[in-house]
Amino acid sequence: MNKYLLSKKIVVNELSTFYSFVIGLTIGIGIGSIILLAQGQNPVDVFSLMLRLSIGSVKSISSSLNKATPLILAGLGISIINSVKLWNIGAEGQIFMGGIALNFIYISTEITNPNFSILLLLLASFVGGAVCILFPAISKVLFGVNEIITTLLFNYIVIGLTVYLVNGPWKDPNSLNFPAAAYVGKEVYLPTVFGRLSYGFIICFLCTLGVHYLKEKSVFGYELRISGGSALTAIYAGINAKQKAFVAMLIGGGLAGLAGGVELLSQTHRVSTGLSQGFGYTAIIVAAITGMRPFGIFLVGSLFGALTIGGSVIQTMGVSSYIADVIQATTLFGALIAQFFFTYKITKVTEDV
Amino acid sequence: MNNNILEAKNITKSFGNTHALKNVNFYLHKSKIHGLLGENGAGKSSLMNILSGIYQPENGSIYIDGIKVKKLNPDLAAKLGIGMVHQEFRLINNFTIKDNLTLSKSNIYTDDFNEAFKKYSDIFSLSAGSETLINQLSVGEKQKIEIMKLIFNNNKIMLLDEPTAVLTPQETNQLRISLKKLSEEDDKTIVLITHKLKEIQEFTESIFVLKDGVMVAEDLETKKVTKNDLITLMMGEVSQSEIRKDNQKGKDKLEVENIFFENIHSNVPTLENISLKVQAGEILGIAGVSGNGQVELANIISGIEREYKGKVIINGKNISNQGVKARKNLNLSYIPENRLGVGLAPGVSIIDNSAVKDYFKSRLGPHLSSNKMLDYLNILIKQFSIKAPDPKAEVSTLSGGNMQKLLMGRELISNPEVIIAAQPTRGLDINAVQSLHDLIVKQRDNGAAVMLISEDLDELFKLSDRIIVLYEGKIVKEFIIDEANIEGVGLAMAGLSE
Repeated sequence: MNKYLLSKKIVVNELSTFYSFVIGLTIGIGIGSIILLAQGQNPVDVFSLMLRLSIGSVKSISSSLNKATPLILAGLGISIINSVKLWNIGAEGQIFMGGIALNFIYISTEITNPNFSILLLLLASFVGGAVCILFPAISKVLFGVNEIITTLLFNYIVIGLTVYLVNGPWKDPNSLNFPAAAYVGKEVYLPTVFGRLSYGFIICFLCTLGVHYLKEKSVFGYELRISGGSALTAIYAGINAKQKAFVAMLIGGGLAGLAGGVELLSQTHRVSTGLSQGFGYTAIIVAAITGMRPFGIFLVGSLFGALTIGGSVIQTMGVSSYIADVIQATTLFGALIAQFFFTYKITKVTEDV
Repeated sequence: MNNNILEAKNITKSFGNTHALKNVNFYLHKSKIHGLLGENGAGKSSLMNILSGIYQPENGSIYIDGIKVKKLNPDLAAKLGIGMVHQEFRLINNFTIKDNLTLSKSNIYTDDFNEAFKKYSDIFSLSAGSETLINQLSVGEKQKIEIMKLIFNNNKIMLLDEPTAVLTPQETNQLRISLKKLSEEDDKTIVLITHKLKEIQEFTESIFVLKDGVMVAEDLETKKVTKNDLITLMMGEVSQSEIRKDNQKGKDKLEVENIFFENIHSNVPTLENISLKVQAGEILGIAGVSGNGQVELANIISGIEREYKGKVIINGKNISNQGVKARKNLNLSYIPENRLGVGLAPGVSIIDNSAVKDYFKSRLGPHLSSNKMLDYLNILIKQFSIKAPDPKAEVSTLSGGNMQKLLMGRELISNPEVIIAAQPTRGLDINAVQSLHDLIVKQRDNGAAVMLISEDLDELFKLSDRIIVLYEGKIVKEFIIDEANIEGVGLAMAGLSE
């Protein structure tokens, strides 16, 4: 009789997350191809068009990276919260809250210096995201309420609030009855480089560096790791584990809020229910695929941005843009399975009695 | 050979690349008490799990009453009358004693339960009635119910895994008498698994010794072997160094005054009016059955628990109102009882765990220097001969002994002035115990004040200069080591001061 034994590897290859991603992406593209073939399309044609229109020129690369920006920022927020082994499922709501807070400050202040105003508005969006996770954070550290549930439920609350605002008090009379708030003025649009690439992407790159430093090189990151490993060890070491978790959650929520602020100032220019197109949920996929590594989130987020852009343009060929979603989801699936085999080993045990 | 109720021949079992058992022979004489001796990791549990059908051996055969048994599984083992008491109790806490005893389908006393219960209550000196809930019983009483459960389930062969680990000396003595009666009057065949020599000599008639998966001695007649023979068999030649007790003592380094503590989360014993002093160069042993306030006392002194009344003075400085870091700054080290979970964070790398005590010394403002941390870990690895595969590997990949060396090394490398060590050697093999004892003594000779909390009386007697006994949160007795004896300490641990 043969038996198989599953055990954790002592040392896991550092590049295993990258390999897993490549394997996952291959599986994703493979499954995407099968679906395309079933629809009577030539996958090579479709994918080459996707590539050309997403990374074929400076313009298209810029579009892809702009699309990636909110994914990366929200993904970084999820990653920093996960340092204490907590899951933020509420990035979607935090993105909206960031936009709402930004718009609130925009309509209640007067603009004298646009550069200063942009900074103030981005700060407001960060604070908005943090406020959005405040209740889940408090209930987590004080009463141990599961943060997965509370952050998720806040998505519905905040999206409800958005619907109310854009249909009620903030409804733009010039929007031809479309439920949306008024556009912000051009003076607070984020500037662009290379024609189209928004400064938002530069902010997002700086945030990637910052989160990497915070998680891997700082005392705060160390304290988060120990708190995440064992709250009792943290207390034993003199680390206030609850306080660290609380701060990490606020920073994480704030980064997702900032994603909403950047998206508003660079892309949508107004609050509406279309401010986020599921960025907060896709960001969970991005963060999970990369094992919560900031640079990984930056790279995979960029790729997913390109996939989304590519997916939206292939509609002209009569192919559903959902093919991009299929590839993203199967990539996560494949990468997680591959990661499993990098983390565990299977040994065969022979038995005869 | 034919009066052997159970025979296991040439049993081989491996897990991955490690051989847990190599061609092991084991046999039991009907109605006798057998001892299975071996260090942690020698293969005792693997053998017992094979006999109770939980593991399947790769090689070898098992005979019961002379008949070969194929494919022994837990169900079949129960039918054949093989039962085991595990170290962790498997009783249902909010059921009565009766419910627990009659739960199994193999229960044989249904109509005559009361009669049987009375008979065995007498044998075990159990005073609780059959309608008592399990959670109202003491640890010793639960142990008795576990063993009675085997009898009620018609087990003729009883495997007892470290049954005395949780008992006071008096309860252990009581258990010895009960087991003897069971084997003589009730024809039970009993196996006592332990690493305690004293008990194996007192309890058993025949001894088997396992070392590194090999049965190095079979069926030794207990009366004819000496303690030293057994030690040599169990661990090869080990230098059992005596600890010098001519240590110079200095001024009081740790003073605890009138500590009162009430745990609001549960009704575990609170601490009442605890006062003690430890001098420089002195080891104070804290004896007591676990759960009598030792953990709470250690947590209060180390600053983890802040809600208490009383004073904690370290090096003449009253730090009662300050937390963990203030006490670390006064060079206090705490080696907690719970190695993985408190002392070390599971799922976190070895290097991160090595810095838990002094990580703020590797900081530059908000920056944490990974080079400094690595240097620090390498010093620990070298100085305390820790076998660590990779600094970035999870700490849980270390063996128990190496984990404890990492923890103790981390806490002792700064030559602390006050050391609180709780169960520092529990569950470790004799060589690791020896080197950890040497570490503690070295610290003592360097002038540290050491408070050693242990359930292992041999360890306390070997290392301590004084012993204090905690019982239900109170200091019930204090002994100078020269005037202490095991019996006196044991009585005090059971709350029976003469």
